[in-house]
Amino acid sequence: MSVMNDPALGLIPGPLHDRLEPLSRAKAWYGWAGYIAPAVLDTVEFEYFALRNQAALFDISPMHTYRVTGPGALAALNRMVTRDAAKIAPGRVAYCAWCDEDGMVIDDGTLFRLAEDDWRLCCQEPMLTWLLDATWGFDATVTDESDTLAGIALQGPTSFAVLEAAGFDLSDMRPFDHREVEPGLRISRTGFTGDLGYELWMDWNDAVAVWDRLWDADPRGGMRAIGSHALDIARIEAGFLAAGIDFQPVHATERLHRGQTPFELGLGWMVDWTKGHFNGRRALWQVRDRPRSRLLRVDVGGFKPARDALVYHAKRRAAGHITSAVWSPTAKRNIALAHVKAGALDRRKPDLWAEIYTAQEGRWDRRMARLTPLAGPFYKPPRARQTPPART
Amino acid sequence: MSGADAIVIGAGINGLTAATVLVRAGRSVCVLEAAAQVGGMANPRIAHFLYNLSPLVRADLGLGRRDWPFATHPLPSVALDPGGRHVVLRGDEARLAGGGTPPEANAWRDMHARLTRYGAVLRQLAEAAPPGLEGGLTSAAGLKQMLRLGWFGIAMKRLGRRDMREFMRVLLSNAYDMILDEMPDGPLAGLLAADAVRGGAVGPRQPGTVLSLIYRMGHGGAVSLPAGGMATVTGAFERAARDAGCRIETGAQVTQIVIEGDAVRGVETADGRRFDAPLVLGSGGAAATCALAGPAHFDIEAQRRLRNIRARGTAAKLNLTLDALPEISGLPADLMGARMVLAPRADYVERAMNAAKYGEISDAPVIEMVIPSLTDATLARNGGHVLSAIVQCAPHDLSGGWNDAARDRLRDRALAALAEVAPGLPDLVTEAEVITPADIEAETGAPGGHWHHGELSLDQILTLRPASGMGRYAIGPNGLFLCGAGAHPGGDVMGLAGRNAARAALGAEGGR
Amino acid sequence: MTQTEEYDAIVAGAGHNGLTAACYLARAGLRVLVVEKNDWIGGAAVSRSLHEGWTYSNCSYVCSLLRREIVRDLDLPKYGLQVIPYEGGASFTRDGGRFAYYSDADALRREMARLSPRDADAYRHYSRAIMRQCRFIRPFLLRDAPDPTSLRPRDLGELAYLVKKAHGLGRRELGETLRFWTMSIGDFLDDHFENDLIKAHLAGSGIIGTGLGVYSPGTAYVLLHHYMGDIDGGIGAWGFARGGMGAISGALAAAFKDMGGTIRTGAGVERFLVEDGRARGVALSDGAEFRAPVIASNMDVKRTFLEHTDPRDLPDDFRSQVERFKIRGSSAKLNIALDRLPDMPAAPEHASFIRGDLHASESLVELERAYDDWKDGRWSARPYIDMLIPSRIDPTLAPQGAEMMTVFVQYAPYDLYRNGIRSPGNWTGEARRAMADAVLDQIAVLFPDIRERIEHTEIRSPADIEREVGLTEGNIFQGELTFDQLLFNRPVPGYAQYDSPVKGLYLVGSSAHPGGGVMGAPGANAARTILRRETSGKRMKGYAA
Repeated sequence: MSVMNDPALGLIPGPLHDRLEPLSRAKAWYGWAGYIAPAVLDTVEFEYFALRNQAALFDISPMHTYRVTGPGALAALNRMVTRDAAKIAPGRVAYCAWCDEDGMVIDDGTLFRLAEDDWRLCCQEPMLTWLLDATWGFDATVTDESDTLAGIALQGPTSFAVLEAAGFDLSDMRPFDHREVEPGLRISRTGFTGDLGYELWMDWNDAVAVWDRLWDADPRGGMRAIGSHALDIARIEAGFLAAGIDFQPVHATERLHRGQTPFELGLGWMVDWTKGHFNGRRALWQVRDRPRSRLLRVDVGGFKPARDALVYHAKRRAAGHITSAVWSPTAKRNIALAHVKAGALDRRKPDLWAEIYTAQEGRWDRRMARLTPLAGPFYKPPRARQTPPART
Repeated sequence: MSGADAIVIGAGINGLTAATVLVRAGRSVCVLEAAAQVGGMANPRIAHFLYNLSPLVRADLGLGRRDWPFATHPLPSVALDPGGRHVVLRGDEARLAGGGTPPEANAWRDMHARLTRYGAVLRQLAEAAPPGLEGGLTSAAGLKQMLRLGWFGIAMKRLGRRDMREFMRVLLSNAYDMILDEMPDGPLAGLLAADAVRGGAVGPRQPGTVLSLIYRMGHGGAVSLPAGGMATVTGAFERAARDAGCRIETGAQVTQIVIEGDAVRGVETADGRRFDAPLVLGSGGAAATCALAGPAHFDIEAQRRLRNIRARGTAAKLNLTLDALPEISGLPADLMGARMVLAPRADYVERAMNAAKYGEISDAPVIEMVIPSLTDATLARNGGHVLSAIVQCAPHDLSGGWNDAARDRLRDRALAALAEVAPGLPDLVTEAEVITPADIEAETGAPGGHWHHGELSLDQILTLRPASGMGRYAIGPNGLFLCGAGAHPGGDVMGLAGRNAARAALGAEGGR
Repeated sequence: MTQTEEYDAIVAGAGHNGLTAACYLARAGLRVLVVEKNDWIGGAAVSRSLHEGWTYSNCSYVCSLLRREIVRDLDLPKYGLQVIPYEGGASFTRDGGRFAYYSDADALRREMARLSPRDADAYRHYSRAIMRQCRFIRPFLLRDAPDPTSLRPRDLGELAYLVKKAHGLGRRELGETLRFWTMSIGDFLDDHFENDLIKAHLAGSGIIGTGLGVYSPGTAYVLLHHYMGDIDGGIGAWGFARGGMGAISGALAAAFKDMGGTIRTGAGVERFLVEDGRARGVALSDGAEFRAPVIASNMDVKRTFLEHTDPRDLPDDFRSQVERFKIRGSSAKLNIALDRLPDMPAAPEHASFIRGDLHASESLVELERAYDDWKDGRWSARPYIDMLIPSRIDPTLAPQGAEMMTVFVQYAPYDLYRNGIRSPGNWTGEARRAMADAVLDQIAVLFPDIRERIEHTEIRSPADIEREVGLTEGNIFQGELTFDQLLFNRPVPGYAQYDSPVKGLYLVGSSAHPGGGVMGAPGANAARTILRRETSGKRMKGYAA
């Protein structure tokens, strides 16, 4: 009777574990919201190139999903998110962020308007208490779908063709459109890769059938199931933020002021001052042009990824740190996201450097690499936005 | 459609005070009261004494510095003892009703002096908006706050080192220990313990109850009966407001506070009228005021805090009509008009208040009462008398809910308890009106029927009153203020919440 | 014949704080004597063999608060101290329900969601809020409490530190902190959770050792007092000292002796010797006398000044303040030798929480009613129990196959009510057995066969704890942890920095700031003060300095 036998402990399989487990050669699992999730199934490189060259499947079921319904749902959600949710038409989905009363970002996610009074929020952090608080006083009901709604991300240039082969006609679906293609199966043209891609949403119990249908439909046989490592490269290339890495969801911080405002995260474009009150608006108005730091997309000199590096101004003064960094196999660039203190950015030409530590055969070395801020994503293929999409 | 510079919702003592301060500062003010009469919880059916009315409020309202517009009759307090050894308090003097000095007399004199001194120090905090937590010496507002705190510090220092230490120790302590450290348990200890928890949902052993006792003594602690009853007081406040030029409408229930562009624009009433104003002060509960504006105009955390405010009234009012004057064994006739408190021991009070925790009516309630018909002959009809009693504990959230059977139960328990000191009393009762905290809430809108619209506990005072981030009267959109007992410093027919709020509103004009 | 020997410092009482202070003093080069009334050392941190083959930590029973700075400074692991974290815990209801508090975060979330999905999510917010408070308070534990009436640079400096830390929190967190420190654990839990059992489970730490109920303001702080410890940096984690809590005192004593210190057991201080307002030594119960210019009392403030100091050596005012200091007995203890692990039918097979703290209270109301019983001088009809089976983790405590169980019991009054009289004398053998019976009924909620498993039970009423350990009323904190008795008010305003009206006589026990628990902080802080004030040029070194 070892103490290790308690069945209540540990990670549990998600809806697609029966499919992922046999595909896993690396046996590299990690915990995502308590579920067993693949970090790598086979090889990061092959998974990544399947994603950028053909198609990739990624299980996003552990995402937190909530349904908000009722005549007061729009007003409640609009008081919560910084964008104007009224502009999201039924059948559309928008990327949103929401803040606490001090204007610090709690989380970001995608907000689907399923029908006039029917919404779904997908996000990384658990949000039930928050949504219950946010809808209090409004005629709206919150349902936690996190453990009942499964999701599969199908991403990559052939993803449209895969869906077509599986029997779905989505040629008229524009980016950020979604619709229920069959009873119980909703497809949205969304993703975390910056490329052409879709996300499929269904009941937990239907996930395997949908997976199999896609798996068997792939016309070119190059589709792979992928783990989080490959996806992470793609999302950095797309310039997307990861909660807990590129920003600190304020509810998960012990020091409340360690949170960040949308302005500090480059999400100022999502703050709508004209729509009326939203959570944190009064605090944000005070600090709208006084960010303490900024999250920058930077090109890193040299070829060594700047993972976990500190950022210096003029090679001397500490000015921030790198949050995400990778060598982009597609853009052929050394890219990173960096938090840089406002003080170091005031100058006309910021003189920013990353202090990178490298290890080769047990020998450690330190080098300073110049950081060049860039505007826009590192990688943004036109095919991502094309409607109808290409099949290759 | 009509307009004013400011609308005050609710014509209770604080609402009227706020309105008068504003109007005397040159603003046009309209007070809208849902009930048919003004007065709110100072209504004579609900309240019976005056002990905490602030002289600052009186001055600001132009009620005259020296001469009250109403005569008051200072009352001695009698700590009733079922054994007949009643203790009579007049200021710092304690005597036995039957003559002689009780053993606690010296302890009481010292304690009275100390608590009054502490009360005077704390009054400074009550007489202004609480210090903000934003801190920082960089702004003028911050400096002003530090200055005020400095004055408070000096006042503390002036207590002398020993007294200051005692002040800081006892301030957060519990009344039960503080009292029993000085005197044996008995009627006087019971009376003090009862005063420390009156209106609240706490027992005297709860930390923080010393503060509520001091709160009662912030203006000297003398209890008085206004000639003509509380109606005279509410009448005087109403007259002060009207004389200053305030418009007061009764029967006007505000159903909506209109907000546009994150600023107050006015209010709408149940009869479909709209009043425009850039300033609205709500004297009801904080949560209710927010609800009038609509949740969309407040931050989510703020609303959560409002929901978590504890406001469970525990004091019911019992108004008895009596055939004749009852007799209390051992109490001379000339003391029958006094404030009488039935709380024979401090642990009796603790036990009575246990019920508050479980939604029950006390088996042996704590009762504060007065026979006003002895002082005001107009109240006595056909040789009979009226007796006004506050009965604790009768929790707002009575399990099973308040219905006629529960009201009868409360009345019977109160009469049974009173029979211990006045055996003939129950037979003299011809009419009994029970006003429960639930009734008080329904009549006045006071959250939970609570005297202070929210427990006066350590975690709900000063900047944390009514809730963190809302402690300086302004809440949510520009131009919206709280001015009721739910705001700092609290209720008790004191008027300071209304006064402070009006001053905060004046200070914020054209701000933000 | 009277022996009189000179030391640089004498510590009265070999509890963990006395030994901690003794170590720091010896480490600074002082000749230190520790005297102890019992034949064994440790005070309330002891391992006793009262039934052959079993070892009981018969007072304190788990470890978390012991400051790691002290452990490191005194190199206690070298002297045998090993602290093993334990895993989770559970609360059970009479109808067979349970809530298991898993240390595995995912398992915990799923378990909470089983009872209330909302609470499972709310727990994140709750635990962050607690952690925020822990982070705020921890730096103050090894600092002196400033005297706010003083203008001395040290006090102003400490005050400035406090203000700076508070200011650094920012508006919202400061508001949260003020509220937290002044509210009840019941209200705090009601703010966050809806499920009764979850709330009851989490509330326990808010009342352990106090004379307060779950709805008494200040109990949120008491909870914090139990959470602010750590094991190897894991804040809030609790564990067992291998070999029982005596291992802590044992390691301290060994370290002390290694530094050249002397411990003398079997005779306690009868009287502190004071001449011209200055401490000169101690007279022991066996007639021996020792002299030293510095006397450090590990006894609580009442014992030290009301029982062992001549009233003529103290100002009346001080004495009356000490009399008013509240030290209330509210807890009892059962230590039980079991022939084997009792059956736990309400738990699933292989339940790991058997290695954690187990409880049988179902709701906050039940806990509050337990408090009401105590106020009236009765032990709770349904007492709160904090029960562990340390032998599941520590193999040294019981014979193989058998188990040792420790049951902390709340509430049990010191002055028990019987026939109209409240007196500790009412704790007769019969009363103790009746109290134990009420406790066994609670234990039977989890372990129905508990009575058949018992080989031996040690029942300790508050009166027993007082008699044996010397803690007034058997209070585990040497004084209530209420606002009026914390920081600069602990134990007496004006004497919150370990000193007393008698020059050279210091308090090193948990009557002093920052209070009780096997923390060692009062001992270390007192030693720092003593070295600063009583020696020229000797300063405390180390992480606790």
